[in-house]
Amino acid sequence: MKRWTNILGRSGTTLIAISLALFLVSIIPQIDLITYETSTTVSPEQVYTTGSQGLNPQQGIQLKVTVEGTLKVYLLDVGSKKPNPETGMFFADAAELQEFLDSSSNMIIWDDELDDDSFDRYYVPTRVMNATLVFRNPSSSEIAYVEFDVALKSSLAPGDKVRTIAYFAAPIGIIMAIPWLLNGWKQRKQK
Amino acid sequence: MGKGKPFLEVLASAIHEDFRFPFLEIFAFLYALGTFVLASFTVSIYTQTATNEAVAYAVTTSLLSGSLIVFVLLIFKNVAYGLGSDLEKGIIQTYFSYPLRRRGILTAKLLSALGVSLLLFLGIQISALYILAPDIVLPQFSTIILTYAANLSYPLLISAIMLLMTLILRRGGIGLVVGIVLYVAMNIVSGIAFFVALATESPLMLQIISLISPSYALQYHYGGLSGVSELSSLTWNPTLSETLLYIGGSYVIVASLFVLGYIYFSRRLNL
Repeated sequence: MKRWTNILGRSGTTLIAISLALFLVSIIPQIDLITYETSTTVSPEQVYTTGSQGLNPQQGIQLKVTVEGTLKVYLLDVGSKKPNPETGMFFADAAELQEFLDSSSNMIIWDDELDDDSFDRYYVPTRVMNATLVFRNPSSSEIAYVEFDVALKSSLAPGDKVRTIAYFAAPIGIIMAIPWLLNGWKQRKQK
Repeated sequence: MGKGKPFLEVLASAIHEDFRFPFLEIFAFLYALGTFVLASFTVSIYTQTATNEAVAYAVTTSLLSGSLIVFVLLIFKNVAYGLGSDLEKGIIQTYFSYPLRRRGILTAKLLSALGVSLLLFLGIQISALYILAPDIVLPQFSTIILTYAANLSYPLLISAIMLLMTLILRRGGIGLVVGIVLYVAMNIVSGIAFFVALATESPLMLQIISLISPSYALQYHYGGLSGVSELSSLTWNPTLSETLLYIGGSYVIVASLFVLGYIYFSRRLNL
């Protein structure tokens, strides 16, 4: 019985130590690596793409977009695809974009349609990727206007996920360690 | 009474000695923290064409670069200092009175010193890596395990040498110092081997080093020598099967040394 209390207790204290490490990691603030804001117009049935950016589990992207008119907004993983050397764009036109979307549906991270609307999102991938932001004007007659802020943020770990694990693991560890700690305290008292 | 119970008695006693409170907790904390702090995807960012395997290898190597030393210190302490002090204090002689073969006693001691430490190290680091990058860990699990296997071979080799020294000298101090010196010396030796390989334009020295520390073979398998192509025409890009041979070969050497330790402990150690 005493041996089981010891095993359970030490497993509990180890779990508490791991939870503390996870909690510590989760409270370390993010760093803004690059921030830029820009605005552009997108002609009817045309596509606008930004340059590609390497993202990874420790480097996410925050995006604030405000659209006047109607625009489809995509965040795509373009992998090893190279931009057109003349235009600097990944997709020359809507047809090429559609071809990519049809053939690589697993590379689509976001696919939203904004109609005189705005959004503010943060994305951290769970793998290494080469991401680009794409705006497509689906209208055949109206020009759309977009303002967007892009911020690349670096963090040690996905804070919410790590903190949730720490919050679950720490109480389990405490429950496991209580009999062992009480036992130790009683023994010390007897001495 | 069967042999199982005395074995568990010795194992429990060894674990109690090797991981006194709060050793286990401190190392668990460091491994968990180290995984997130040391993980680096930087290599992968600038090499967009890198394969998923290379990404998994790069991330695992970045973790190991700092945390391996913590693991090495733990196993060196357990093998040299733990076993050495047991021999000096006569605790091993007490174990000999148990209805258990000598090799069973050594197995229990090594399970505690190396097995528990390995379980803690690999369990925490791979779980933490999974939390961080599940889409890298799951598809490339074999690459991650291979990277750990290649990097752990040399510390295990030193552990086997330290075990032999501790048994022969019956004290752990010298074994511990030799272990630390050997661990540091490998960085110097590999540096020399690299320059000799560049100068002679032959990968022979790197191949010899890789037999002892196969992490170098794995490094060249994924990275090659592209960075030094302007300095020398030396090229060494071992295939995966060649790399596996180096890893296998190094573990054969490690296993042989541990077998020697077992033979010495069972037949030659007069206590």
